[in-house]
Amino acid sequence: MKSCLIALLVVSPFFLSANAADEDYSPGPDSMVKEGVPRGKVTQHRWVSEIFPGTERDYWVYVPAQYDGKTPASLLVCQDGGGFVRENGLFRAPTVLDNLIHAGQISVTVGVFINPGVVPPAKKGQQPRKNRSFEYDTLSDQYARFLLEEILPEIGKGLNITDDPEKRIICGNSSGGICAFTVAWERPDAFGKVISHIGSFTNIRGGHVYPAMIRKTEPKPIRVFLQDGENDLDNLHGNWPVANQQMAAALKYAGYEYELVMGTGKHSGRHGGAIFPDTLRWMWSESKTDRETAEAP
Amino acid sequence: MSVVLLMIGLAHGQDMPLSQVLIEGRGWEIAAEGFNFADGLSTDAEGNLYFSDVKGGTAVYKVDLDGEMSGFIQDAPGISGLQWGSDGRLYACVAKEQRVVVFDEDGEETELVNEVRPNDLVVTHDGNLYFTMTPTQEIRRIAPDGKMTVVSKGVVTKPNGITLSPDQGTLAVSDHGGKYVWVFRIEEDGSLSHPGNYMEMRTPLSEPEIARGDGMATDVHGRYYVTTAEGLQMFDPTGRMGGVISAPNPEEGLVSVCFAGPNHSYLYVANGGKIYRRKTKTSGALFFGKPGPPAAPAK
Repeated sequence: MKSCLIALLVVSPFFLSANAADEDYSPGPDSMVKEGVPRGKVTQHRWVSEIFPGTERDYWVYVPAQYDGKTPASLLVCQDGGGFVRENGLFRAPTVLDNLIHAGQISVTVGVFINPGVVPPAKKGQQPRKNRSFEYDTLSDQYARFLLEEILPEIGKGLNITDDPEKRIICGNSSGGICAFTVAWERPDAFGKVISHIGSFTNIRGGHVYPAMIRKTEPKPIRVFLQDGENDLDNLHGNWPVANQQMAAALKYAGYEYELVMGTGKHSGRHGGAIFPDTLRWMWSESKTDRETAEAP
Repeated sequence: MSVVLLMIGLAHGQDMPLSQVLIEGRGWEIAAEGFNFADGLSTDAEGNLYFSDVKGGTAVYKVDLDGEMSGFIQDAPGISGLQWGSDGRLYACVAKEQRVVVFDEDGEETELVNEVRPNDLVVTHDGNLYFTMTPTQEIRRIAPDGKMTVVSKGVVTKPNGITLSPDQGTLAVSDHGGKYVWVFRIEEDGSLSHPGNYMEMRTPLSEPEIARGDGMATDVHGRYYVTTAEGLQMFDPTGRMGGVISAPNPEEGLVSVCFAGPNHSYLYVANGGKIYRRKTKTSGALFFGKPGPPAAPAK
């Protein structure tokens, strides 16, 4: 499967622009339930936050069948979690984790899938205050603190999860993508790996400054995976394909371990979902070897 | 369609650039002039504009739908905030006299509270009046029964402009001494909870922490408008900045904003001694009317 990923990375811009539209990206075999592969358990929970006062949200926890409680498990945290756990969605994270763990391609990993918060209305008929943009697009440590002081301690009560940032991955789409980067940027001691699909590194709430900051900041121990599509958004907040390429150029300049996969998709999770198993394999791989191999034509 | 697609679609389907509001070729025009410090812009169900001259005038003025100006209420100096209630009465912050009052149809004044420092106010459909006390960092409420309570203190540095969401479940307050517009949930009992620094205003390069947030308005789509040192700033209902509309006269302070005129589709601003207006593609949320969900965003 490694060669498959490499091929995708090297030839994708040419290959895909010739052949693929957004609708052509679909989940592959590693995102399908396979007979004989033990399935992990997904449980749903609700959280009322103090760090984001008044907000409520659902979150889901995936515990793989192989988890034994003795060996600390790796961790994958996804924003907009409801979409990632959905069985027939674009990402199907629990199924992907089942398959990759069973195949021995990634370590035993607990998945945490968190929705953005809302402040529910006081009266019937009123709208909730949607806190997604505030939580995801703001450049601060507030969301990192929410994870590290509220959600993860709660999960840690019943599960043995590693403290090693290299085995803790944070992931998201769109504003969830920049949110994932912000968490690792603020707390590289807690998350050493970032997956961003169609990441909003644009000026929704000032996130366009990251490329400049990355270039002039002592490199942090973070591995970054970026996916975007050439038909992604170009609107009042910015231009997504340009912004993701700026991110990639800055990460390259500053010497980060990173990959940018540019496809032809729009502002959707289709492409990111289709390559999600490959992305996870790369996240768990011995990066250096892969980077060198991937860059060789 | 998958949940993820749907979520992303929703999150970005509501992108609200200025082009959804402004009309090409329709800039600011003078609606009224000759004042010292125009303020307190407000409208009624028909779209007539009401305002005050907080430093120079002695009246509440009215500009009708034909653009004719008249004195609406005489002997009412020093008013800094005005709004019509669902009871057909005009509520006013009399900054100069440190009172909040209400005028009935005949212009007869009734005092609601005194010894307060009111700046601006908003009145909900069910008759709760919220007003800002800029110097004391307070937001106060006057309940329909007349009882006054402090509903926020010390959250907003200099609470100034004040408005509601179209469903009237969220109160928004601008900070004249900071860079955020704060939002609060209005509880069933009228108290405020869960403050959030939801909207970050653009600030002058020379004063990066102080936006001078002042008067506020809301449109039917739930967009918020706030006058600032940098111009009239617009935010979408999720708190993301949609754009900055230039002040008609940047040399003078921009202090008050409201939708009025035909179909409440004109933005009016008080900018120094003059009031300007411009036609828009949207229309104002009217809080004396029945609250409801925001209208679907225009394409």
